[in-house]
Amino acid sequence: MPSRERATLLLRKEWHELRAAKAWWLFVAACGVLVGQAFSTAVATYAEVSGGNGGPAALAQGVSPLDGFVVPLFGAYAIAATLLLPFVAIRLLAAEKEGGGLGLMLQGGVRPISLVLAKLAVALGGWLVGLLPALVALALWRAHGGHLAASEVGVVLLGHLLRAVWTIALGLAAAAWTESASTAAIVALGVTLAAWALDFVAAVQGGMAQRLDAFTPESALRVFERGELSLSVTVASVVVVVALLAIAAHGLRADRLPRRAAAMSLVVLGGAAIALAGASLLHGSGDLSEDRRNSFPRADERALRAIRAPVSVEVHLAAEDPRLADLERSVLRKLERTLPAVRVTRVAQGSSGLFAADTAYGEVWYSVGGRRAMSRSTTPAIVLQTLYALAGVEAPTDANAAAYPGYPLVMRAGLAPLLLGLGWPLLVLVAWWRSRRPPSSNRFPT
Amino acid sequence: MFACSGISKQFGPTTALRDAGFMVSPGEVLGVIGPNGSGKSTLLACAAGLLRADTGTVTLNEVPLDLVAIRRTVFFLPDGITPWAEHRVHDVVATWRRLQGRSAEEARGRIAALSLDGLLGRLVRELSKGERKRLMLALALLATQPVLLLDEPFDGLDLRQTREVASLLRAEAAARRAIVLSLHQLGDAERTCDRLALLDAGRIVAEGSLETLRSAAGRPGAPLDEVFLALT
Repeated sequence: MPSRERATLLLRKEWHELRAAKAWWLFVAACGVLVGQAFSTAVATYAEVSGGNGGPAALAQGVSPLDGFVVPLFGAYAIAATLLLPFVAIRLLAAEKEGGGLGLMLQGGVRPISLVLAKLAVALGGWLVGLLPALVALALWRAHGGHLAASEVGVVLLGHLLRAVWTIALGLAAAAWTESASTAAIVALGVTLAAWALDFVAAVQGGMAQRLDAFTPESALRVFERGELSLSVTVASVVVVVALLAIAAHGLRADRLPRRAAAMSLVVLGGAAIALAGASLLHGSGDLSEDRRNSFPRADERALRAIRAPVSVEVHLAAEDPRLADLERSVLRKLERTLPAVRVTRVAQGSSGLFAADTAYGEVWYSVGGRRAMSRSTTPAIVLQTLYALAGVEAPTDANAAAYPGYPLVMRAGLAPLLLGLGWPLLVLVAWWRSRRPPSSNRFPT
Repeated sequence: MFACSGISKQFGPTTALRDAGFMVSPGEVLGVIGPNGSGKSTLLACAAGLLRADTGTVTLNEVPLDLVAIRRTVFFLPDGITPWAEHRVHDVVATWRRLQGRSAEEARGRIAALSLDGLLGRLVRELSKGERKRLMLALALLATQPVLLLDEPFDGLDLRQTREVASLLRAEAAARRAIVLSLHQLGDAERTCDRLALLDAGRIVAEGSLETLRSAAGRPGAPLDEVFLALT
């Protein structure tokens, strides 16, 4: 049979399997409820910040649809991806494995990796169906005069897409390597909890935990949610997904001794670790946020790029110190985006500044071509002045040429939460019920 | 001729198979008989490459087969499986026959032969044990491999269905297919098989036609159950 025809057949079969899975229908219905809730909360908060309900309005420049609407709205999918989507993926593989269909398919000439890829594609299609309530919510926002930047919506959507693929791949790998769906669910949730724990440790300890944490789906998603399209994060996510799919395929090789399949999976993990180390060295990134929150003003970027001497930064701040978070967000990330060769050393890792033995704690040393200067500020303008002074570069004057206008909007959610939280699940229920009806014809299809 | 030999399989401290094997020729139906737990299903799964044997070889016309070649040569239908439980019977058959490159005509023939016509719109999970067994047999018969290994093919079938399926398997063998059945009902084995392999505690204790086994047991004219008891 031609491979394209076989692929179509597999996809059709898997789509049928997905439609038969109550876990998927529940996921799709829950997406409506979660999006309805997220929409309602986001719109109310946005209206309040915009000066609705008689309260004081924030500065218009501070009212961004990315932070105030898009990220909270799609936050519903982070919850669904964590708590529901793994079970959809696990169900797809575990049901076939436990029922004996997997053995028949493998004997029928289907390769394990083909089966895994078909299941991934179909589960992703199932996730896209669950995305429909978000599209409705975006349309409602626009219909009420809300502003949306396509690049911002796109990059957040891409982040959630990668998050979903990551989750599905993890669910498939867990199902392939365990005897039952319940064990696979425990494994998948265990990995999620471990990622959360790593996230916590990274926030407190920094260092190696922070470097590892950069590859967890939560951390990766945060990069996309701030409107940044990072080559490093994207490549790392793809590497993890490919590794998980390869591990899933090895787990389905029933003909192999478990220790040989495990050894092959360890080889895959080793390869993935090397690839991840390589990915962490990639510096390309695009700032797709409308307010260019991940970048210095264009004039400053031009001035910084004119510095030819090597630039390095030595930070004496502990990981849990809020000043470090502030410095990372407003200075260091932007600097690394503008000057990929910049070397940042975080000296006081993993200990609280109050009790640190480091007498230089709180200092940030900037070095340009051997000339050094210290600053304790986390304000971009002051740091840039320090760098320009060290490099002997004249500071640009038109740094605030194109200020972000901001998009305040006072909008009431109205019936939308009801439509999404109740109407959508009802629609899903009707669709599920119709899918269960026996066919009108009992004739064997040709 | 398809053959497997020297197959041993250990599950932890339990020895499931010890130097077991069988051979079967095109056009022949071989019955692997033995009590529950004697290792029949394990032997067939090892022969089909679905379970990795600790030792042993699988050959076709005396040429050793690797796993890829085994997959092309052998199809094993395990007992008690309910694949694609939420799919309708016609979807299962249609998908499988396309995957196997079989024509719709061939699929209709199997459906009719196994009296599945009235079940096409039903979900697999809604089928009774016997109906499910007939569906699984239809899939096995639509498989393209020349050697079929069927684990307890008559389990769940009533007497009439058992006889019909036995005739169908005989006809399939007559079309130059080699068929190996694992059976614990000796009456079914006696009716259906050309030759028999007696498996006891993971070892083949005797192999041959019923007459050969009778001679080996020193019980000329005895029914198979007596021969079996005498040899095990």
